[in-house]
Amino acid sequence: MPRKLIAVVAAVVLGSAAAHAHAFLDHASPRVGSAVRAAPREVTLWFSQKLEPSFSSAQVRDSAGARVDQGARADGMVLHVPVKSLPPGTYKVHWRVLSVDTHATEGNFSFRVGE
Amino acid sequence: MFSRIICAALPGLALALMPLQAEAHCFVGARFLPATLTVDDPCVADEMSLPTVLFSSANPSGRENDVAGDFSKRITENFGITVASTWTFVRPPANADTLGTSASGFMNLTTAFQYQVFKDAPHEFAWLMGVVVEWGSTGAAGVGASPWSVITPTMNIGKGFGDLPDDFGVIRAFAVTAQAGYQIPTTSFDLVQGAAVPQNMVYGGSLQFSMPYLKSNIIDLGLPDFINHLIPIVEAQFSTPVANNEGNPFITTGTINPGVIWVGDYFQVGIEAIIPINRASGTNVGAIAQLHLYLDDMFPTTIGRPLLGSAPAPTKPFGD
Repeated sequence: MPRKLIAVVAAVVLGSAAAHAHAFLDHASPRVGSAVRAAPREVTLWFSQKLEPSFSSAQVRDSAGARVDQGARADGMVLHVPVKSLPPGTYKVHWRVLSVDTHATEGNFSFRVGE
Repeated sequence: MFSRIICAALPGLALALMPLQAEAHCFVGARFLPATLTVDDPCVADEMSLPTVLFSSANPSGRENDVAGDFSKRITENFGITVASTWTFVRPPANADTLGTSASGFMNLTTAFQYQVFKDAPHEFAWLMGVVVEWGSTGAAGVGASPWSVITPTMNIGKGFGDLPDDFGVIRAFAVTAQAGYQIPTTSFDLVQGAAVPQNMVYGGSLQFSMPYLKSNIIDLGLPDFINHLIPIVEAQFSTPVANNEGNPFITTGTINPGVIWVGDYFQVGIEAIIPINRASGTNVGAIAQLHLYLDDMFPTTIGRPLLGSAPAPTKPFGD
């Protein structure tokens, strides 16, 4: 009985190897919660799954809530968000993406420019 | 003529080809609430726990070892059913004044009917209502399965603290869940035991700290990948007799379960200690472990989606 159970669980887990899952934010540049000296030209987000470009985007806003991004472009598992020239301050990145298997995820984080 | 038909059909074709947006296991905004081992999470989902293994002294008849499984299926986007079954092995305590030997068998089959009442993404809040039915006489009497059924209207909520201002720092990685139910047995008197069958308040919750949330939404500390998938958690569950308890003590029983859950893309693994809150709740520390599968991620186009209805079409992020 235990061997059959293990076999069933293994089949279920291994049988799903071709499936895709939710797209989680793997890492970002600037790094989540970090402070950078030089203003970045682009915020780049790396995800754990491929993204649906039409339904994946991000916005960058300054501490006053004004948008400082210039749109976003998804390329595979990466979301590129070019930004305007950023003066020293705190910026918030809001992202919403759809992975290719249609699971939606979202999140937000801050980074700081300057000391 | 043909081109006019094509032009007329294009919007429908585009709609048909548009990917549908799946809301799956317990995501609420930026927050992921894992399937908890002791109390239920506040979301309907397509998922399966197989197995859940428990070693506990919480059974008054002696030490108890369980192997359990449950299968949750969304019927519609917001309505789901869970079927759960537990095989149990009970060993009387060494100093028990009993002549009986160890007993094993299935406990009563349990079914939960649950409805997702509300999800508030910006505030990471989820609210679930349900009815849990333990079906009488579906288990083995020798391990304590009752011949009567127990109906338990239940409410579950979950709340993440990610909506706090950035100044709160790592506190924003915390989340809580809570569960409260009222057990209504279908009989009021146990003729075999000669005792009243009480109605109980069953309640509990969890306090969890999400390392994935910390890394993705607050601060990326550059920790090892394994650590970034952990959710340290403390769960608690209690039962208090509140009615029809003549002749029985009005003692609250329960356990506090500290542990950790590792969250992957397709499954999670959790392990917790089981600490009784008083002698009536058990005499030793136990343990529970669980392998939990996210069927919606594993099989997104088949058993991982609702049986009826279609998922809402995705919207452009931020209304772009």
